[in-house]
Amino acid sequence: MGGPAGGSRRLSTAAWCLIGAVLALLYLPLVPPMLFSVEPATVGGGPTLDWYAKMWESPLLAGAVISSLEAALIVAAMTPVLALGAAMAVRELKVPRLILVLVLLPLFVPSVSLGLAGAFFFRQLGIPPSLLTIVIVQMLWALPFAALIVLTAMSTFDPVLLEAAHMSGAGRWRAFRDVELPLIWPGVSGAATFSFILSFNETVRTSLVQGPLNTVQTYIWSTYKQIGLSPALYALMTLLILLTLLLAGAMLVLGRKSGAARSR
Amino acid sequence: MRSALLRRAFLLLPVVFLVLFLLLPLAFMVVVSFWKRALLKMEPAFDLTNYVDFLAGPRLPVLGRSFLVAIEATAIGLLIAYPIAYYLARRAKPNTTRIVLVLLTVPFLINYIIRAFAWTWLLGRTGLVNATLMDLGLADGPIDWLLYSNFSVLVGMVSSYMPFMVFPLWMSIAGIDRRLPEASWMLGAPPWTTFRKVILPLSMPGVFAAIIFSFVGCFGESAVPIILGGVGYQLIGNEITSTMDTLNYPLAAAMSSVVTASMLALLLVWYFAFDLRSFLGKILAWRIA
Repeated sequence: MGGPAGGSRRLSTAAWCLIGAVLALLYLPLVPPMLFSVEPATVGGGPTLDWYAKMWESPLLAGAVISSLEAALIVAAMTPVLALGAAMAVRELKVPRLILVLVLLPLFVPSVSLGLAGAFFFRQLGIPPSLLTIVIVQMLWALPFAALIVLTAMSTFDPVLLEAAHMSGAGRWRAFRDVELPLIWPGVSGAATFSFILSFNETVRTSLVQGPLNTVQTYIWSTYKQIGLSPALYALMTLLILLTLLLAGAMLVLGRKSGAARSR
Repeated sequence: MRSALLRRAFLLLPVVFLVLFLLLPLAFMVVVSFWKRALLKMEPAFDLTNYVDFLAGPRLPVLGRSFLVAIEATAIGLLIAYPIAYYLARRAKPNTTRIVLVLLTVPFLINYIIRAFAWTWLLGRTGLVNATLMDLGLADGPIDWLLYSNFSVLVGMVSSYMPFMVFPLWMSIAGIDRRLPEASWMLGAPPWTTFRKVILPLSMPGVFAAIIFSFVGCFGESAVPIILGGVGYQLIGNEITSTMDTLNYPLAAAMSSVVTASMLALLLVWYFAFDLRSFLGKILAWRIA
């Protein structure tokens, strides 16, 4: 590339300083909740893990955890199916640009507006706020990401393989199931994990259609607004941060493994 | 025959889902914005009161401030994200790029509301930032404008939306044909000129996508101003939720419609001004020819 080597090296150093600083600032906020979650219960006491037990004294939390898990599991199961359909529609239907923009559209609607529009709409149709409404708005939010992940996986798939399958007498469905799907599976499962994480970490859209149900995130949000932050709430946040890090790690390890298996 | 129909249905499923649960609700929200408030409910009408209330009342400055804050946060995010994306796309090794992109994604996945809570301590009077500044002798006492100010709101927004701006930027810069900057170099252009006249124009689809993504998030943001703006800090996002709390649904719908319409207008500009291929080129080269 152009430029003397010295300039290039200086550019490189500057870029790494920037990347390092940005990463430090992004990861720094993950630390304080952990510190506050072990805050001594009495003045002069030592750090304690008591808050991790005490947070369950709130009668709402257990239900919120269950609703969160239910919603996240359904979102993780359904969104990749829609994402796969969308990716295939982009490939096979006559208006790929239009479909792509439609699928990416939820990214371009502010979170409050998306939740609000859903709330009005469900109310008008007589659908009471429930797990169903929570799942629908969370799927809207997860779909663009899931579709991009599946599209990326599909782009590495060679369509010649499908033709080969057709020539060997496989129907379209058979060719898809036995040839294409196994090859793009890492993308589909990646989309599922990503959807799970997005669902599990969503607050604003969910809070507008939650009704009487709470997810863990809306529980944190409403407790913050009504009572304020507390060591018990920080303990809960710490658990959520750790769970998300764990899932993200699992997604990467799995993605890496299947990537390695394919390139072999 | 039946399997062909099933296949068709499968491909159209996401389209139906989005039309039914996104486009129709958004259209219905616009309809509601013309309705009238009736005690705890609302009743159908064709009434411009909500828009007059919104655009002539004290809420207009809130819209203006949201606009400004969103522009500032987006500009700061772009200034940070572009150099990173540029470096990753053109200088770094593929493996390094992968690792850095993953490291940027992970904090994005953790609810930004939890991260915003953490910033209230980091930026507070007794927080890490003030303590460090005082230890280094850079400040005599705690600096007050770090928290519950425009500054802290910007910190919250940039750290929420900047990480994801890197992706469209990186995709569009990585998609630039390598022969073009090489040709520019061979014709004697210095690196800065090559950047200005070749790379930057060709990366505009990504720049615009990143700008829209961040701008939409920041402009409609409702949690960050509550957590990091302090009491009375209003942006249009939390103005909408507090209007909902007072049960004035049609007014909330009107504000939300204005916000959504401006975002969709931006999206339309992007759709017609740029070729999606140049932005998602790597992903879509095989399909959109």
